[in-house]
Amino acid sequence: MAYVALIPLLPALAFAVLAPLSRRARNRMRWLGVGAVGASLALSLVAFSSVWPGGQDADALYHASWPIAQVGGADLSLGLLLDPVSAVMLLVVTIVAVCVQLYSLAYMRDDDRVGWYFGVLTLFTAAMLALVLADNFFMLYMAWEVMGLCSYLLIGFWHEQEAPRRASQKAFLTTRVGDVGFAIALAIIYATVGSFEFTAVLGAAGSWAPGVATAIALLLLFAAMGKSAQVPLHVWLPDAMAGPTPASALIHAATMVAAGVYLVGRALPIFEASGVALSVTMLVGTITALLGGLMAMVQHDIKKVLAYSTISQLGYMFLAIGVGGAVAGTFHLVTHAFFKSLLFLGAGVIIHASHTQDMREMGGLGRHMRWTAVTFGIGALALAGVFPLSGFWSKDEILDAAWNGGHYAVFFLALAAAFVTAFYVARLWFRVFAGPAQTDDLEEGPATMLLPMTVLTVITATIGFAAPAFSSFLGHEGHWPDPLIAISSSAVAFAGLGVGWWVYGRRDAAVDTNMLKERAGLVYTVIERKFYFDDIYEHLIIRPYIWAAEALARFDSEHVDGGVNGVATAWCRVAEAAWWFDVNVVDRMVNEVAHAARVAGSNMRRIQTGGVQVYQRYVLGALVLFMLWIVVKGA
Amino acid sequence: MLPLLTTIVFLPLLGAAVTALLPKGRAKSARVVALVVSLIDLALVIILALRFDVGGGLQFIERVQWIPEANIQYFLGVDGISLPLLFLAALLLPIAILASWNISERPGFYFTMILLLAVGMNGVFVALDFVLFYVFWELVLVPMYFLIAIWGGPNRQYAAIKFFLYTLFGSVFMLVGILALYLNPAGGTFDMMELANSSFPAGFQWWVFAAFFLGFAVKVPMFPFHTWLPDAHVEAPTAGSVLLAGILLKMGTYGFVRVSLPILPGASASWAWFISLLAVISIIYGAAVAFAQTDLKKLVAYSSVSHMGFVMLGIASATPEGLDGAVAIMFAHGIITGMLFLLVGMVYERTHTRMIAEISGLSKQVPVAAGLLAFASFASLGLPGLAGFVGEFLSLVGAWRSPLIAPGYVVIAAVGVLLAAAYMLWMVQRTVLGVPSEAVSNITDLTSREVGILIPLVVITVVMGVYWSSILAYVNPAVLTLLASMGAA
Repeated sequence: MAYVALIPLLPALAFAVLAPLSRRARNRMRWLGVGAVGASLALSLVAFSSVWPGGQDADALYHASWPIAQVGGADLSLGLLLDPVSAVMLLVVTIVAVCVQLYSLAYMRDDDRVGWYFGVLTLFTAAMLALVLADNFFMLYMAWEVMGLCSYLLIGFWHEQEAPRRASQKAFLTTRVGDVGFAIALAIIYATVGSFEFTAVLGAAGSWAPGVATAIALLLLFAAMGKSAQVPLHVWLPDAMAGPTPASALIHAATMVAAGVYLVGRALPIFEASGVALSVTMLVGTITALLGGLMAMVQHDIKKVLAYSTISQLGYMFLAIGVGGAVAGTFHLVTHAFFKSLLFLGAGVIIHASHTQDMREMGGLGRHMRWTAVTFGIGALALAGVFPLSGFWSKDEILDAAWNGGHYAVFFLALAAAFVTAFYVARLWFRVFAGPAQTDDLEEGPATMLLPMTVLTVITATIGFAAPAFSSFLGHEGHWPDPLIAISSSAVAFAGLGVGWWVYGRRDAAVDTNMLKERAGLVYTVIERKFYFDDIYEHLIIRPYIWAAEALARFDSEHVDGGVNGVATAWCRVAEAAWWFDVNVVDRMVNEVAHAARVAGSNMRRIQTGGVQVYQRYVLGALVLFMLWIVVKGA
Repeated sequence: MLPLLTTIVFLPLLGAAVTALLPKGRAKSARVVALVVSLIDLALVIILALRFDVGGGLQFIERVQWIPEANIQYFLGVDGISLPLLFLAALLLPIAILASWNISERPGFYFTMILLLAVGMNGVFVALDFVLFYVFWELVLVPMYFLIAIWGGPNRQYAAIKFFLYTLFGSVFMLVGILALYLNPAGGTFDMMELANSSFPAGFQWWVFAAFFLGFAVKVPMFPFHTWLPDAHVEAPTAGSVLLAGILLKMGTYGFVRVSLPILPGASASWAWFISLLAVISIIYGAAVAFAQTDLKKLVAYSSVSHMGFVMLGIASATPEGLDGAVAIMFAHGIITGMLFLLVGMVYERTHTRMIAEISGLSKQVPVAAGLLAFASFASLGLPGLAGFVGEFLSLVGAWRSPLIAPGYVVIAAVGVLLAAAYMLWMVQRTVLGVPSEAVSNITDLTSREVGILIPLVVITVVMGVYWSSILAYVNPAVLTLLASMGAA
């Protein structure tokens, strides 16, 4: 089964070929990326079928690892693990990636750096595939970071403009805040277990001191919150919409942002060993599901609505894991990947046609773009959780898990979030497709763009029925929805859609939303200002850091370096003083001595008379003194 | 056949003699001589690396009595820790020469100085007798002084003298340390290997460590001894910056690994809290100050302070992971910062400015240069899959494992990884991305010579980042030997 290694390797090689080429050659060779990802899809299908029918027996169907270094006495390895979860993820990633690549062929056709776009998209796919196949935390982290790079490059793809440039940096740095947690978690894991391998680490998790498990779990959760845009690290994702729309579909909706959920799912035994961390996960997910939905309600930019919706739905997944419904969370990851990428691709067609992202400038598109309206509508209904579309099933499982786990408050909050979701979905669809048209030359997208959307629509419409099979594939007991929960969630969904229709959808009597905004007053303002997260970061972190950095730079040149120069200056002063001393004291003394010698000499000269008797007298005197000295000493 | 290490060390001296004696009219051909010599040297180091037995400890030993009266030997050898650094020195030499290919002012003297510098750089990493080590150590100062003072920027005199005096100040203390070891009854030799096997009383170790610390810390440089670095970098010609950051800084950290740890293991442990504290301060402080810089070269210079903090953190940990990481960063930093300085130099030659505010939109105007600058920046900020990540990661892991280092320090150091991304990305955002500024709007992209200089560095960055064994296979066994001997001593 060595072909499994080819699944991430082929796209990686395609990037390696594309990257060094000249711009023009790269543009011509863009099909290479499409082909490589297509081949990965084919191999993923083979891999999936080999894992089928899954269950506990299929755990680690394929496991291989290659050491890349020996450190101390331990091996650091890149290893691949094919089990039911990774097999599912392989399919999700490759299917969405192929759809996005095909779609992009048309969408990005006229861009003069289209080759680079496809190269990065392909590298991203390679990294994501490596991530889901990783058999250890270390490799997962490497792939995780490479995805972050690709996300950065694609968000900032149109970097001549200010917004994408800023957004790309914000995305990279915000997710890296989380990655600090990841790095420390890895250090603790290694110090505790001496290995990064899932089997070794997760197998030992139960025997750790609770503090260790909690620390590792919370740090991993923090990393996941960055990558999966959970409150309060969600702020980068809405801005990331400045990138090309198909890239948003793949990276910022279907796959990369779900990697955080995947990580927490993989590390579940650590979270379970901690307990506390599981509750925190639930809390973070619930808050995010709700806040994300609320913020989606007031956005005017179609992509930003979808971005906040993604944040909210990812929150649902965390919530699911937190209440003990990891399988439900994973299933929601899968269904969401398909319907949200469908919505993004649809949004791309809409933006292409109407030349704006502002929904206030849209309307009436449905008459001209029927197929887009239908496919987008199916995706929207799936997001709202309408039977029998996929979102209904996965959301239902999550609600089921919350209820049966005894987390009633979470259950009702999740229902509230579902209501909000249905509301903004209706608002979005009616604003875009219903009402009077505001632009003339509306045209349906080309078939090359509609085809991938159709594929995703079919999956979205049908995959829900696989819910029980999905559970048993992952080795859990599958079951059909609890009727009571299904009814209540459907009621909430229809209520949300109904209110949305009532406000935005009725032909003549559209409600004056300005009046609503005024009524809501403060609440509206708070939501509209996105709960002030960006402002708080701007004022409490970014500006103080810039201020501190500049202050430190001044400190460095004035005081640290000033100290060095001060020592040098002081030394110059000392040298000058020494010079003065030398001239005025030492040298003068020498001169004085010389002078004294001269004076003495001239005085002495007087003794030197030349008379022998005089000299004899000196000698005699000296002799007497000498003898006296001997006598005294002898005594 | 000539002894390999001696040939490697002194071949550049021969080259220096030739370039120095070239008649005035032929001075231009000095660059050819220098390049040929440096390439032969590189080839010899590669041969040495291929013949090197990775698990075999100290190798290629050359040992003769030099001054028997004082028990001073001519003692060379190489192990898995010094080999990567020797390779780095041999690799960056031809690159530095090619980067100075068009130097017009006194080329004969220039290349003489470069080759003389190579003698000192190669020598430091293979000398195993303290007197010899000290000679090479000081030898480096002179040519670097001239490189800055003659071919430097507007403020070159100040920077050159500052560099010279500051590092000389440090090495005086190192000399005191060397003599103290020699005069101690337990020592009595300049043989570094023999000294590593002797055990010195704890109190003696404590202050000898302090003396060596001053010598090495200035060179690294660690906060607060770092301020010579930005000045020297800004004023030095590109080749000078490349060798300064690539090799000279590593002499300091290499000193800690080769001298402080094995010879003074007790003091290394008792000083670890202090070293790791300064290391963490260097990491954060260097990153913050780098963030505030307006001059590209200064930004890279302060980033070096931050990166070298990670090296020191790994060294202070005294764990296999930490030391592997430390050597890995030393090597990777030489490669990556070399790239950064080369690129900044290439951009400067075209735009005649290094002010970040005046450079933007490189990617639109000069995509190759911009792409490589972005690549080097991502390597520098520690992107996994590229060389910079290897050591940073291992140094953090080792520091966490080490009983000598407070966990809080490791957490703060990990934040340094984030801050590195901040200053690097912000630089990229302002210079590489966006619309071309006035200074950038008419410049031409890199020549094939310039791309050719950078390609080996790019390749090494990727290979090392993906296949860590390419360097750690050499380093790890040597580190284990070192740590074992520390435990025994």
